[in-house]
Amino acid sequence: MTRTTQITILVVLLALLSLFYQGLWGDPRHIPPVLVGTRAPVFEGPDVESGEPMSSEHYKGKVILVNFWASWCQECKVEHENLLRLYDKFKDHPEFVMVGINYQDEIPKARAYLQRYGSSFPHMQDVKGALAIDFGVYGVPETFVIDKQGIIRHKWIGPIVDNVYANLTKNVLTPLLSDPNPAT
Amino acid sequence: MFRLIPIPILLCFVFPGAGLAKVVDETEIDQRVREIAKTLRCTVCQTENIWESGAPLAHQMRQAVRERVIRGQSTEEIRAYFHSRYGDYIMMEPPKQGINWLIWLAPFLLLFGGGVLLWREVKGWVTRTPPHQPPPALDEAARRRIERELHENQ
Repeated sequence: MTRTTQITILVVLLALLSLFYQGLWGDPRHIPPVLVGTRAPVFEGPDVESGEPMSSEHYKGKVILVNFWASWCQECKVEHENLLRLYDKFKDHPEFVMVGINYQDEIPKARAYLQRYGSSFPHMQDVKGALAIDFGVYGVPETFVIDKQGIIRHKWIGPIVDNVYANLTKNVLTPLLSDPNPAT
Repeated sequence: MFRLIPIPILLCFVFPGAGLAKVVDETEIDQRVREIAKTLRCTVCQTENIWESGAPLAHQMRQAVRERVIRGQSTEEIRAYFHSRYGDYIMMEPPKQGINWLIWLAPFLLLFGGGVLLWREVKGWVTRTPPHQPPPALDEAARRRIERELHENQ
């Protein structure tokens, strides 16, 4: 076996090993977000607390933060306080809307969850999980930010905590809310 | 003795599952749902398609497939919908385009490379093996000794 052949085999093996390494230790939250940059699906369903129909059509032209959550989800409890804080921070902005989408849950349990942990923004039911599939959701919690033109600008898989919270408020929501472009 | 056993009872012993079997009434819709669901990956279990997975999300995806089949959408339209939501990741068979070609071609390229290496190695062994040499001829003394020993043994 010549030296060139030996070096070629070594290079191929190292390339395969690096691929395996990447696959084993890569961050599972870095799934390619195919929906970012595309038009957000229309989402509608009954309100978790009142049962009244809700629709994203009512929020046209606004920056919408959509958070998928469930009462059985432990990480949702971790981020819940931050979500309330986030809503308080932007609620007075006339172009800001925040909607929770309750995923794969039992309504009494979801209501009890909101009573226990607090609720300041509206929540929509997604009992059959159809809205979650429309948004390409893998699990909860997942958060999306939709701009005034109805385009998904940001997606985060996992709880909104620490740096994620800071990035969401400072680098995503604030620039989008100060965007002078009118809604289409 | 066998004549005393009624044939249906005998059949139950020969084919024990037959008595428990139910008629599978699979409609055309069920069949299409199954065919499409088998091509879509369960996004929370990774190694299963949504037809075989027991995960709640897979169940909801099967329901979404069924609803779209009932609405009259084609197989390609339904697959395109899921692809638009989850990307290549949801396809059990990655689309043959871009970087995905590496997944499709790499096994054949590795097999070809391994074959070439093996062929070259085996060829090297054959070349290095000395050609067959005839044994040296017996001298007269040795030939007589062998003949004598053969005669003594007879």
